[in-house]
Parts: sequence; structure tokens; C-alpha cells
Amino acid sequence: MLEVDRLGAGYGAAPALWEVSLAIAERELVCVLGPNGAGKTTLINAIAGLLPARGGRIVMDGRELTRAAPHRFCASGIAIVPEGRRLFAGMTVRENLEIGSYLPQARRERARSLDYVCALFPAVREKLDHAAGSLSGGQQQMVAIGRALMARPRLLLLDEPSLGLSPAIVLAMFDAIREVNAAGTAVLLVEQNVAMALDLAGRAYLLEEGRVVAEGPPAALFDRPELKRAYLGHDPVR
Amino acid sequence: MPALRLPAFYESFLYLVLHWIVLATSWNLLSGYSGYFSFGHGAFYGAGVYTTAVLAGKMDVPFAWTLPAAALLPALLGVALGAIVFRVRNVRGELFALLTLAVTFVLATIVLNTPIDGGPGVYLSAVAVPSLAPTASGSFYLMALALAVVTLAIAYAVTKMRLGVGLFAIHDDEDAAEVMGVPTYRYKLVAFGLSCGLAGLAGGIQALFVSYVTSNGTFNITVPLTVVLMSVLGGTRHWAGPAIGATVITILLYASTAADQAVAGKAVVGAILVGAVLFMPDGILGLAVARLRRMRAAASSIAQAPPAYATRLPATAAPRARTGEPLVVVRGLRKSFRGVRALDGVDLDVREGEILGVLGPNGSGKSTLINVVSGHYRADAGSIVFAGRELLHLRAHRIARAGIARTYQIPRPFAHMTVRDNVALTAMFGGEALDPGEARAQAGEWLAFTDLAARADALPGDLNLHQTKFLELARALASRPRLVLLDEVLSGLTPGEIDEAVELIRRIRARGTTIVLVEHVMRVVTALSDRIVVLDQGRVLAEGLADDVMSRREVAIAYLGTVHA
Amino acid sequence: MNLPSGTLLAQSALSGLFIGGLYGLIGLGLGLSWGLLHVINLAHFGLAFLAAYVCYQLASVGGMDPLATLAIVVPLCFALGVAMHALLMRFRVSPLNSLLATFGITAIIEAGIQSVWTADFRKLESSYAAQKFRIGELFLPLPELLTLAIAVALAFGIWAAMRYTDLGKAMRALAEDAPVASAFGVNARMHALLLAGVCGALAGVAGVCLALTYTLTPAQIYAWVGVVFAAVMLGGLGSPLGPLAAGIVIGVSEALTMAVASPSWAPIVSFTILIALLLVRPGKT
Repeated sequence: MLEVDRLGAGYGAAPALWEVSLAIAERELVCVLGPNGAGKTTLINAIAGLLPARGGRIVMDGRELTRAAPHRFCASGIAIVPEGRRLFAGMTVRENLEIGSYLPQARRERARSLDYVCALFPAVREKLDHAAGSLSGGQQQMVAIGRALMARPRLLLLDEPSLGLSPAIVLAMFDAIREVNAAGTAVLLVEQNVAMALDLAGRAYLLEEGRVVAEGPPAALFDRPELKRAYLGHDPVR
Repeated sequence: MPALRLPAFYESFLYLVLHWIVLATSWNLLSGYSGYFSFGHGAFYGAGVYTTAVLAGKMDVPFAWTLPAAALLPALLGVALGAIVFRVRNVRGELFALLTLAVTFVLATIVLNTPIDGGPGVYLSAVAVPSLAPTASGSFYLMALALAVVTLAIAYAVTKMRLGVGLFAIHDDEDAAEVMGVPTYRYKLVAFGLSCGLAGLAGGIQALFVSYVTSNGTFNITVPLTVVLMSVLGGTRHWAGPAIGATVITILLYASTAADQAVAGKAVVGAILVGAVLFMPDGILGLAVARLRRMRAAASSIAQAPPAYATRLPATAAPRARTGEPLVVVRGLRKSFRGVRALDGVDLDVREGEILGVLGPNGSGKSTLINVVSGHYRADAGSIVFAGRELLHLRAHRIARAGIARTYQIPRPFAHMTVRDNVALTAMFGGEALDPGEARAQAGEWLAFTDLAARADALPGDLNLHQTKFLELARALASRPRLVLLDEVLSGLTPGEIDEAVELIRRIRARGTTIVLVEHVMRVVTALSDRIVVLDQGRVLAEGLADDVMSRREVAIAYLGTVHA
Repeated sequence: MNLPSGTLLAQSALSGLFIGGLYGLIGLGLGLSWGLLHVINLAHFGLAFLAAYVCYQLASVGGMDPLATLAIVVPLCFALGVAMHALLMRFRVSPLNSLLATFGITAIIEAGIQSVWTADFRKLESSYAAQKFRIGELFLPLPELLTLAIAVALAFGIWAAMRYTDLGKAMRALAEDAPVASAFGVNARMHALLLAGVCGALAGVAGVCLALTYTLTPAQIYAWVGVVFAAVMLGGLGSPLGPLAAGIVIGVSEALTMAVASPSWAPIVSFTILIALLLVRPGKT
């Protein structure tokens, strides 16, 4: 469904990504791992159109998106839960969700999507008319995921959904992600909690210094020396 | 003797040109150099106008004696206003412009409604004009000429002093300037006082020139907007820019009035302003200087082979023994942002001469630690003792002078200063005070040390990332610090560049500088660090030798998480 | 000091209310442009005066009903607003530079007005001007009443549009975080141009109201700058209702200052409020 071919991107003078290639099939749940600064957020932002690509290609369903205007990415079925959630803090939760379903095809499904999100995250239903900025971190994360789901995406991009949340909420969050994926949405997950991410994902990529250094099924990846070296710095062989 | 025996008409015209040169150049001293665009120049000019008008016109003080007061009163007003406004952090850019504009109207209302004016205006027709020349218009011309020369001399001298360098740095990045040791608050005050005083002098002379002053005619929006226009057109980053802009605009307006096309003249001036802002925001001189620099940079990169480094490096950073004595002692350090505890009681020591690696997952508080130690943020509680001295309540530029330098994770060079001037700035303001010439010479040495000598005349925007990161390092080193805080200097570099940087960091330590290294590239941390501290959720999770720390279970959990989180 | 009579005070407060409505009306477009588009549009004042003169021309010379001129003035100003913003966007102008560039545009508009209509005073003589209502001892002139009604209607209309339509919500989302809003399919460029057009149209409406009530002369453009900025900053940038409320507060306090002290003290009210606000909550405005 999604193909990323030798993608380069970065902020200002700093390239954070060199020639990253990956692919995601329909209904897959793929995880991107890597230490801080490895370029995970840059990668996911470029795929969502938040950041222009500097080189390479992004192809969705055979259609090239690389040079498309930022607002075109959503129409091709991609929706993002950005790092730090980035809700529209001055707007209500309901309004945030409505922006998620801004495009015509999503707008037609708005009522049903809203029910779906509220069923997935019952806490959101009670807060619909509160300002998004007034919610707790966990609730905000749910709204951010909800906002992306309102777009009826076929590919959901999640950037560190567990960051700064309590363990119980993280568990709930991951259950929800599993449920969304089971319902047919492909998921690309960037996560710092390696163990949990690998538990969830069907396949994983390991990013280090802006490049893919390893790829494969989670169990195999967890034991690969590249992972330990990237995170902990020591080489288990030695 | 420049007393031209010209017809009075020409003398009056030249007077006007010089008058606007003084107003525009004085405005530029604060607003152009430091980027604090004031729309209140009319207020200080007007204060000068009314000081002379009241003293000479109403109280019969001889004109010459009113001029010191016409300079002093506006200068004091400016400093008083600045002392309040410059303390409020966010009053910059357009907010500062509006605030100063509002001050103009308040002052106008007070003048209009109190005995200073009272409504009818003040006549100075009975005041004797000093007879410096045979005619009155000749005398005015000479007075304006003298003032213009003095103003331009001050504007020029400031650019050659620490004051000017500091103001330019404030323009580009005020917070970084403070961290590099520039006393930003004091410099802004001094520049504001100078600017207001010179404008007041111009006002004092103008009061006698027009011989009848009114509140509406003095405190209007025309003066500030005209000086902004003149300076933007000529170039605000050069001492002569406003003078050039003032000459062009005054001739244009005067010519169109003389040709009975005042309306068309106004439209042309408007169009020039729009064109200048859109097409050459750096002004006429800005364009010229940029072209010159590009030519010089091209020439120097061909002509100069980089000199061997470390030959004549300043001796102040003389190698200190790696005593192992604690250089920094941090205890109970706390810092919260809107209820989120970024630092939650951090205790750690940095030993003299070591490289201490600081690690931790996202959001563990590493960058906050550097920001607090360098004075960028103020801690909520705890203590930071550096070489026996408590830092917690010092302003950032004092901490820099005490001997701590830092780099920024996302490099923050001063965008409008050359690479050499960027480094010279910290040489000038960090550690002991150097004069600009000496600082520039030392900057050259540091550029050689970091292999940047060939790019000394380039602007930071023309460097690649690798060079920009090395510029951050050179800048930190140039203050000859005892302690350098390196915040992810390697992120974004290619593996080859990383190896070069590792070598450079080793060389820095070999010179006796203590280093705190915040870094994600693990192989670098393990290769360089003597000791490692791991932060997690704002606390120290582990501390010790690199390999030992990283194989501990709690560290693995912090990094990799667990399924049963 | 003699306190003026109750009737005089009430009449003053009333005229303050009316002029405050006009402050709010001019400030509405200015604040939206500043808060949502990050353009500090001094040309908003120039545009309003241009609209006022066009209205004067059509009504005085062409014989149209002043309110009917809105049908011509509003589309004209909408187009000018879009064109101006397209230019600023093309060059990615910072807020401070937008202030300078739009001042240049204002000077051009002023010169244009002066060359067509001269610097002489122009007053629209319409059938509205003579009509007054009387409530007890208080007079309510029709043009002022109309202005206030239009200001209130537009402020609430835009408030409702921002709150209850997808388009309005998209505008607010763009102002908060444009990249994320774009990632959900909102076309940032088109929305910005549309909003700039709306701000221009609002300047047009304000101009027609100016023409109804005030004597026009090109130099008057700058007379409104300070006080309307004060209203916008007091009311909150990007807020549709704030400038109206703040404008009325300022207008009434000015009018009462005039009645109690003297007319020439009036400006100090708005500007003191503005300075205090900048110093006390610089981040909020």
C-alpha cells in the first residue's frame, strides 16, 4: 500500500534522514524503533506531509505523493497522530475531532466515526465539549488518536503514543491500537517502549542515525545485536 | 570650513537633509542594530522640541543652554521607559513597536493639556539664533552639520565597540547572546539612551528652526514612520545606511513638493517602502555589503590554505591537571514546566578534566539540565556550585563569564554575522573582556582549531550542517571556558563527520577543558566518556563507568521498556 | 470641578457607545488578520478610507443609496484584500515587516485618494444623516445607530461562523497549528486568501459606516490607528467579539473623560490601557 523509497528529509540545515526505504501492506502493523535522534519522527512526519521530502519517493497505492501539497496526503488515506499530540488546544474536543473529518468523504461519515471513537475511548465522550488543552495527557492522546481515526484512514501513523503516560493508560492505548488494526487499518508505529512495541507489531524496522539498520519480525529483531548497540551502546559480542 | 555661501534656499534644504540624517541614524542605534523597532522616536524627538521651546520660548533661557537639556531629558525618558519595558520578556518586535507608539500619544496628550503647551503652541520667534554664519539659515545648516557628524561618528564607533557587537547579536538571537555573555539588558538601555538623546538634540534645533511648535505637528506618526522608512531603505545593519536612506527620501520628497507633485511623491515613497521590505529587506547597503562579502569569501577560500591549528592559541585555557576534584556540584536540582517535573531532584558531580556523558530516554531532563546550568532557565530549587561559587541566581551572561560555555542542539549561530564574528563575540564577552580587534584575531585561531578557517568570512547560513556544528563548538571554546556543555553536537552528522568530531572533542579535552556531553549516538558516548550519568524522569537513575552502567537492568528497562509496563 | 448633569453624562456615554461600535467594526478585520494570518495590516485603515470615498462618490455624485453602495464596495475590498495578502504570502513577510509593507500600501492609497478627491473635507449628505430618534432627553442619530447595529451583527455573525461552520473551525485550526491542520486536508493557502478577503470586505463595510457619519479627509486615515489598535489588543487578537467589547469600553471611557475633564484628554485613556496591557500580559495579546 505505502512504499517509501530512499527518502531524505530534515529540518533547517540538518538532514535527519538519509535514504530510508520501507513498505507497508494493507492491514499490517509495522513498528519503527530507534534511539532518540535516529530520525523516527522526521520519517513519520514526512510520510504525513508535515515535512517536505528532500529526496526519494513516497508512493501510496501507486500514486506518487512526494511533491504533493501537504493537504493532499490525507485524501490518499493517511492520517497522523503527531509527536506531542499537537491538538488544537483552544478548540473543544468535538471540534478537534471534526477537523479530523474535514475532507468530504470523511465528513459524510462524521456521525458514525464519532460514535466509533467514543466507543473506542469512552473517556472522550464525556469530554466532548471541553477545551482540548484542559485535558490530561492520557485523554489528549486519546483525542489525538480519535482525530486521526475521524479521517477514516487506511494507514494510521502513530508517533510515540505512550510518551509521558502512566503504565495503565499505556496498556489501554495499546489495546485500542490493536483493535483499530484488527478492524482493518494499517498502522505505522513509532515507539520508545521497545518491548511493548515489538509485542504488538507484526514487523519492525530499526533506525539508527537516519538510516534503516535492521528489519524483520519482532522476536528476531529483539535479539539482534544492532538493537542493543543502538540503544545501550555495548556490543554483546564483545 | 563648510560654511557655503549658498542661497538660503539651498542651506535650508541641506539643513533638512542633515536633520533627517540625525533622526534616522539615532533611531538606528537601538532599533536597527538590536532589532527593537521603536515607533516612538517621535516622542523623544518631541521631548527635545518641547524642552527647547519651553526653556527658550517661555522662560527666556538662551538657546545654546537649552540644548544640553534637550538631549538629557529625552535620554532620561528613554532609559526610564527602557528600564521597565526591557524587563518584560515578550515585548519584542511588533509589540515593542506598538508600545513605543502608544507612549508617543500619551506624551502628546500630556504636553497638550498641561502648561508645557496648553493648546495654542509655543512661539520661538523672539529667540535669538546663534550667529555661527552670516545668515540664520547658514547657522542652522552648520548646527545640523555638526550634529550629523557627531551622530554618524557615534553610530560608527558603536559598531566598532563591544556595545555594537552585542547589539547585533541581540538582533539575531537575544537569548543566545545572553548565554554567550552579552549583558543584553544594560546594552539595550545604553543604546536607547543614546538614541533618544540624539533625537532630542535634533528636536531642540528643529524647534528654533520652525520657530512655532504645536503638539499635533510634533508628536505625530510621521516622524517614526519616516525614520523607519529611511533606515530600512538604506540598510539598518550598517552605520551609514540610515543616512543614505534619509538623503534619498528627503531629496525625493523635497523635489516632488518643489515640482508641485507632493501627492505623487507620497505615493512613490510608499511604493519604495513596499518594494524595500519585499525585495531587499536588508536595504541598499545591506545588499552592497552582502555582495562585497561574497566576493571576499570567494577570494579568501581560494587564497588561504588553513593554517596549522593550535599554534598560537590563547594560553588562558592552559591545560589544567585532571585533578578529579569536583568542578561542579549539583544538589537537589528541580525544575518544572506547567506542572511537569523536568528535573526532579538531580544530584551529580562533574570532576575537573573529565568527560561526563549524560544519557537518558526522551523527556528524561537532559536538555533541561543544560539549560538550567547555563542559566537559560532558572531552577525552582536546589543548588549548582561551580568552582566554589553558587550559580543558581546568576543571570546567564554572568554564568558565561564565570567560565561555562554551551552549544545548542539545534545550532543557533547569529545569522547576520560572519563565522569569524560569531566566534569573536564569545571571545569578547565570555571569560575576561577582550577588545574587538583582539577577539577577532583569537577567533581566527579557534576557527583554525576547528578547521573552519577557510569559511571565516562566510555567513552561517552558507555553511553545511557539519560546519555549523563545528561553529557551535568554536563559539563555545572561544570564551576559554573551564566547562563546556555539549548538547547533541553530533546529531545529524554522517558517520565520517562523527569520527572527525570525536577527534575534535578529544583535542578539546586535551587542552584541559572539562566536558559534559549529552548525546544519543551511543558508540560516541562510550568511546569518549570517562563516566556516565543516566537520567530518567528527571532523576539520576545510574552513574558510573560506561559499559558497567549500560548493562544494568534498570537502564535497559528505561531504554527498552517492558511488556508489563 | 463641576460635575456635568446626568443627562449630559448619559448622552456622552451614548456617543461613546456609538464611536466604540465603530472602533470595534474597524478592529474586527484588523484583529482577525493579525491573530489568524499574522499580518499586522495598517492598510486596513487605508482600505476603509478608500471604501468610504468610493461610497461618498457613488452616493453623493452617483445618487445611490449609501447602504446600496455596499454591493459594490464590499466585493471591491474583498478583491483588494486577497490581492494584498497574495503579495505578502509570496514573499513570506514577517509580522513586523508586514506592518512596514502595509504602511507603504497605506501611503499609496492615501496619495491615490488625495489625487482623486483632493485633501479637502468631504461629507456625504444622505437622507440618513438628518434622522434622529429621541428617547426621553437622549438623542439617537440614525447613522450611528446603523453603524452600531452593523458592527454588532458582523461581530456576532463572524463569531458564529468561526464556531459553528467547518470553514470557521478550519480557520481556527490553521491559526493554532497550520501543518497539522494541513495534514487533515485543510488547504492552508486557500483559506488564508479567503480570510484576507473577508478582512478586506470588513474594512469596506467599516468604510461605508465611516462615510455615513464622518467628514472625510485623507490625513484622517492615521487618526484611527492608535485607538483601534488599542481596542484590538485589549479585545484579544483573532477574537471576533473582543474588539467590539473593548472598542465600546474605550469609546465610553473616552467620551466620559471628555465630558468630565476636557476633550483633549481623551486619547490618554486608550493608550494608557494599551501600554498597561503590553506590560502586564505581553504574551496574551
